[in-house]
Amino acid sequence: MATMPTFVKKSEVHYAAPRRLDQEIGGKIHDEDPYLLRSLPGEDVFFFSKRIDNARVVRLPAPGAKSAAWSAAGAMCLLAALFTVSVAPRIAHYFAGYRLEALRSEHQRLIDERMMLDVEEAKLLRLDRLQELARHHNLVPPKANQIVDLEPKPDKALAELSRKSR
Amino acid sequence: MDDGKRVDKRLGWLVCVILLWSGLILARLVMLQVVRHDDYLRLARKAQEIEVKIPPARGSIFDSNGRLLAMSTRLDSVFVNPLKVPDIDVASDILSRILNVDRKELCSRMEAALDRDQGYLVVKARISPEESDRLRDLKLGWIGLERQTQRHYPNDTMAAHLLGSVNFGEQGNGGIEMGLEETLRGQPGSEFVLTDVKRRFIERRPGKEARPGTSITLTIDQRIQFALERELAKAVENAHGETGSAVAMDPNTGRIYGMASYPFFDPNTKPAAGERPTNRFNHAVSVPFEPGSVYKVITLTAGLEAAHLTPDTIINCGNGAITLFGRTVHESHFHGYGSIPMVLVLAKSSNIGAIQVGMRVGQPNLYKYSQLFGVGERTGIELPAESKGRLRKKWEKTSLASVSIGHEVMVTTLQLARACSVIANGGRLVKPSLVLRRGSENVPVVTPVPVLKPETAMTMRQMMEAVVLKGTGTKARLDGYTSAGKTGTGKIPDPVTHRYTHFYNATFMGFAPVNNPAIVVVVTVNRTRLMGADASAPAFKAIAEEALRILNVPKDPLLVAADTTKKASAEKLEEDDALIAELARDGAPAAEEDEEAPAVPVVAQAATPGGPVVAQAVAPAGPVVAQAVVPAGPKVPNFHGKSMRAVVEEASEKGLSVLLDGSGIARMQQPPPGSVLRPGERIRVQFAR
Repeated sequence: MATMPTFVKKSEVHYAAPRRLDQEIGGKIHDEDPYLLRSLPGEDVFFFSKRIDNARVVRLPAPGAKSAAWSAAGAMCLLAALFTVSVAPRIAHYFAGYRLEALRSEHQRLIDERMMLDVEEAKLLRLDRLQELARHHNLVPPKANQIVDLEPKPDKALAELSRKSR
Repeated sequence: MDDGKRVDKRLGWLVCVILLWSGLILARLVMLQVVRHDDYLRLARKAQEIEVKIPPARGSIFDSNGRLLAMSTRLDSVFVNPLKVPDIDVASDILSRILNVDRKELCSRMEAALDRDQGYLVVKARISPEESDRLRDLKLGWIGLERQTQRHYPNDTMAAHLLGSVNFGEQGNGGIEMGLEETLRGQPGSEFVLTDVKRRFIERRPGKEARPGTSITLTIDQRIQFALERELAKAVENAHGETGSAVAMDPNTGRIYGMASYPFFDPNTKPAAGERPTNRFNHAVSVPFEPGSVYKVITLTAGLEAAHLTPDTIINCGNGAITLFGRTVHESHFHGYGSIPMVLVLAKSSNIGAIQVGMRVGQPNLYKYSQLFGVGERTGIELPAESKGRLRKKWEKTSLASVSIGHEVMVTTLQLARACSVIANGGRLVKPSLVLRRGSENVPVVTPVPVLKPETAMTMRQMMEAVVLKGTGTKARLDGYTSAGKTGTGKIPDPVTHRYTHFYNATFMGFAPVNNPAIVVVVTVNRTRLMGADASAPAFKAIAEEALRILNVPKDPLLVAADTTKKASAEKLEEDDALIAELARDGAPAAEEDEEAPAVPVVAQAATPGGPVVAQAVAPAGPVVAQAVVPAGPKVPNFHGKSMRAVVEEASEKGLSVLLDGSGIARMQQPPPGSVLRPGERIRVQFAR
């Protein structure tokens, strides 16, 4: 406090008469010194210090300060909650996006793997390979006269069917 | 002006400035967030999103039983950024070990790329999933993986000509891959993906919708196709032929059971340097040839319908030679026949007889019937580069004779199969088809077009059966099934000398069983010195027997009975041989070793001066079928002229089994009325309106 400057309006300061060099220097009249510096801006502002003794100051609770503090804290919490509520879904969305992408790529990988397995299966079931295996095991395809059809039913045997139904 | 007013004025200016400033900010905000909202949103997304193109998965191809024939899988390709590679030697070492590529070559390639300031170098295309996983685990920033698709043909060479192949961009460049490109390819799409700073995907936004290619289910049966290719290869190699083709088809629907061309190729591999492009031609549909004697089927069918001839009509075969407009035509088998019934003209494949029939038919009619059988037009099968063959409109003086015996006309093996189906299915021209289903949608069968009277087709069927039983096609006789067919041997002309060489296109076309044909098979061996009877008929037999077994077609009871009395049949055949010998005149050899003739004594009735000798058989030969001693059974009633309901009722009352074909009233039946029905034998009745 003591260092705080005090600004005083010019109107409140008693101005001395314009300095006359002839008056200030032994009553001799001199001509105006051309080398005399002009007055600095704010030269007419006066500073003074006042010693303040706070030894007797007693700290007293400010009325309403507590409630103001709680209000501020509540407001901050509310803001934080609002921020969280507004931002959290977005963050969760990002994390879900990462997870979804990982699952999607896994799904695609499994599809690709299944397709490769289909191709592998088809290669293993190639007829020339099966024939070679059959030959290896001394298996031969049956001749036409070695096959016995058990009551073949041609599609158009209508008479035969109607006879049976009677 | 006092101080208070001055302060108020200043405050007023300040407020104005603040309001103006706020207004400007508000206006700018409105401009940014309302007026140009979309533009800035797009710019923001452009910075955060990337557009990912979705290549359409090419449709798979299956056979009629759902077995895989072609499929595309997604594989990774490896690329590196040489500008970011810290140490090329180490990088080459790592990549060569994982990808099993040559280290030195890779190192030099990377150094060369580095010298050129090239930031992208493909190390290996389409690596295996295991290699891909190992590279991904390295987590090296200068290694990148790109998704690409690869077409697999797991059966290698099987049905290669039929399936075709794809180029590097997965576009079909042959076969069904090219013919159904639009269906198989699908449409590419795209989606926009929100990424983070590390370019990891967070969120997707659909862009253009991708449509995957539709899978195709073909009509071919892998087992029949396998048998077809195996027997075709055997036939071509045994006959020392150059190329060959074979087609197996359902005569009633036109659906192809199998189609093969020889030599084969592997569609999984690119054409090797120096490989003949003709190896990849589908000979069955793209390479026409002069069919030779198989064309006599068309000539004689025209004779039955247009010239009102019958199988018993006696044809003067001129003792083995005929001269027309200064050109002499001989029998192909170097045997001379006298006057023989038309059924024998076909059975013995008499050139002179066929020419005589052709002359009775006349050029307009022969041309018309050729067209009715589909000669000279594309079949419309779903394959590219189909040839329409050749059927000239302008005929020379001797063209009638040439076309009658299958020269000056060109057909493909598929066209022959289609023509043979006309006889097999009762006179209807089918449209060959390869596609059974597109996705889950069934492809309907195109309704066959009637082109012949059912009676004509049935008569022709019996005449073709005689070819197998007693004619040139005995090697096509099946075990357990009746069969009918025709051999053909077309000479190949020399393009330089314009003369026929002694190389042949040896063909056999036939169907089985005769009474209710389930399959038509045509086998052609090109540029061989053997004839159709020797080169192709055995292949027909093997293919047809296996195909009928696969298709679960009941065996013919007639032949089962005949097998039990094989001895009696042999005696009968010997008797027929003797009668053939009687028919041959002037000491000409009776027949080839495998040729037999029916017992048809003929007496010349009249000879028109300048015209062909007209003769009539004393006793009608009747349909030529295997004669076997069988136990007596019920007599076949006469269904002719009756409705389908009446036929069914009558057959039901008498306890007979009938096979009904067509609609309308009964026109033909087999066995004929009055004949004795063998145990288990069914009566086939052909209806027509």
